[in-house]
Amino acid sequence: MQKNHIPEANEKRRKFLINDNLDILIEILKRLDGPSLGVAACVCRLWCTIARNESVWEHVCFRHVTSPLPSSVKSVVAALGGYKRLYMVSIRPVLSRLGYSEVVRRVWTQDEVQLSLSLFCVDYYERLTGSGRLSGDASALSLMFLCNTVNV
Amino acid sequence: MKRELEEDRSTADAGRRVVKGECSSVSGGKLKMWEEEEEQDANGGGGGMDELLAVLGYKVRASDMADVAMKMEQLEMVMGTAQEDGISHLASDTVHYNPSDLSAWVQNMLSEFNNSTNPNPQSSLYSDSLHRIQSTTSCLYDDDSEYDLSAIPGVALLPPKDSSTEIETHSRKRLKIGGESSGHLSPSPSSSSPPFVTTAGIVSEPSRPVVVVGEDSQETGIQLVHALLACAEAVQQENMKLADALVKHIGFLAASQAGAMRKVATYFAQALARRIYGIYSPQDGLYSSYSDPLQMHFYETCPYLKFAHFTANQAILEAFATAARVHVIDFSLNQGMQWPALMQALALRPGGPPAFRLTGISPPQPDNTADSLQQVGWKLAQMAEAIGVEFEFNHIVCSNLEDLDPAALKIRPTAVEAVAVNSVFDLHRLLARPGAIEKVLGLIKTTQPKIVTIVEQEANHNGPIFLDRFTEALHYYSNLFDSLEGSSIGFEPANEDVLLSEVYLGRQICNVVACEGTDRVERHESLTQWRTRIESAGFDPVHLGSNAFKQASMLLALFAGGEGYRVEENNGCLMLGWHTRPLIATSAWQLAPNGSK
Repeated sequence: MQKNHIPEANEKRRKFLINDNLDILIEILKRLDGPSLGVAACVCRLWCTIARNESVWEHVCFRHVTSPLPSSVKSVVAALGGYKRLYMVSIRPVLSRLGYSEVVRRVWTQDEVQLSLSLFCVDYYERLTGSGRLSGDASALSLMFLCNTVNV
Repeated sequence: MKRELEEDRSTADAGRRVVKGECSSVSGGKLKMWEEEEEQDANGGGGGMDELLAVLGYKVRASDMADVAMKMEQLEMVMGTAQEDGISHLASDTVHYNPSDLSAWVQNMLSEFNNSTNPNPQSSLYSDSLHRIQSTTSCLYDDDSEYDLSAIPGVALLPPKDSSTEIETHSRKRLKIGGESSGHLSPSPSSSSPPFVTTAGIVSEPSRPVVVVGEDSQETGIQLVHALLACAEAVQQENMKLADALVKHIGFLAASQAGAMRKVATYFAQALARRIYGIYSPQDGLYSSYSDPLQMHFYETCPYLKFAHFTANQAILEAFATAARVHVIDFSLNQGMQWPALMQALALRPGGPPAFRLTGISPPQPDNTADSLQQVGWKLAQMAEAIGVEFEFNHIVCSNLEDLDPAALKIRPTAVEAVAVNSVFDLHRLLARPGAIEKVLGLIKTTQPKIVTIVEQEANHNGPIFLDRFTEALHYYSNLFDSLEGSSIGFEPANEDVLLSEVYLGRQICNVVACEGTDRVERHESLTQWRTRIESAGFDPVHLGSNAFKQASMLLALFAGGEGYRVEENNGCLMLGWHTRPLIATSAWQLAPNGSK
């Protein structure tokens, strides 16, 4: 647990605990990249809850997009499995494959967004079984090529 | 027993030399022929030691026969071109244990030989021997004692058993005919040969190139290509006996290659064999490109289909920019993999999604796949509901596109609904039946489409001359297999996918090479040819935009081994290729403004 201590010069012993200031915490966590967010989720239960929040992942996914995305993106992504899954399945592999570092990310244009969303769609479609239920943990085969670890 | 063999062999002609199995190599075919022999002659002597050879004092497993045969041929060739003194050490210095175990003995010999001598393959003389082959007329085999192994002193090569001379000459005979005798045990050397193909011309050619085990695979690669082309030429000239010999030789050469070259050569050799023996199984025509399971694997392992879908979708999306209701007619429904991405793009369209109607057309499937077709519609509907797109699905089963009744498509007036027609790797099949393509293009026109997207292979496999088609196909599929190879590097879990994709492509190869007439449905044509045809039918090209190009490039970069893929723009059409060779082309069309007819 992290505590920010204000120097003792202040006589009122008010400690600033980040966990008491959720809005600041969320603002900070929103700006993390994927792996760091994953690490943050291991800190404590509160952080874990926040880190699992979809809106945080929304920022992780599309923070660097130049033009604002249409509002319909949110509902579509939510319907297809959520931003966290979008990141896992589509955005992170695309980032690593296209050689973009997580931290210093190149600005994304609509094309990259569109491509990621298309791949995400394909993933959803493949996971649909005949009876209409999603098979939860099975990952779509056609995106397996993205999961390949590249020999560097 | 030898008389029995002779009888069997004389009845064994082309009918018996059936190359079975989709995935077995030609040498595997040889193996099966051995097994057939054994089952017939020796009572059920399949799994254990070969009973016939056992009688002669040699222990060879029936399952090892083809292997031993190959090694013996290699040995023979190697020794044939070695200098005189180069092999005498084999007689004196080499120690062989248990010479009756043929398999181990041959292996021993080969390794000894490779360690000592290293003759250079004389590939430049190969073309000479090729000419020799072509000029050889069929004649009876005569016993050539040039390679009589009994002349070599010492015990090593010729163990001291009387009956052994026969096995040596048997195998020698077999070897001399280039390994194509399918392992028949000939009776005494002096008898006249059965009606097999003789390539006696090769035998006495001492400068025959040597296939040294494990080395100079590049040389054998060149020889392999030469052999393939020579075989195709033989087929073209209807010289089936020569072609037959060459096919088996190709099988042997292919086995010494590795990777993509080997697979391509094997598939082409199989297809040539089918053509030579006249085996066209009807499913060859039916399955290509309609065979759902294999195409899925192809979809997963390499970007061709994804590229096709994404670029076609982009064109359709742009055409549907302002329509309130859209109708897509898909000639290549399969698993419907193309449409989720389009639906999602439509859902995110500024102004909201249109009502999306999809009419999928697919051929009747032999087995019970009515459920799976329904599943496709069901899954698409699920998807559409999830993302909030109004969806309607209609499914038409139709074996020949030209027989499709336009009324079944339920076209609504243009003002109400915008129509797009989509065909991915399907139109070329219509070229097999005369008049079909014109009818279908006319049918498309009656639907008044806003856009027609067509994706086809970029190759000309529909020329009138077999040899040209063969050569084209060889280049095309070599590139394709190379790209598959590139994308599977370091990718362990999906090796099965790659293999199945190769089977998928193998079926296409088989169709291009082995079939004729209406059976030959893989009639690929080049983009230029398609352009002419479609334009003369009354369509104008629509240029694919740069965002399609960009997305396609990004998509390719995602694939492992993606450096080999290239996207090219060609007069408004996008082509995907491997290195410098374009392999598939996406084009978009609209009705010509004053389109009469």
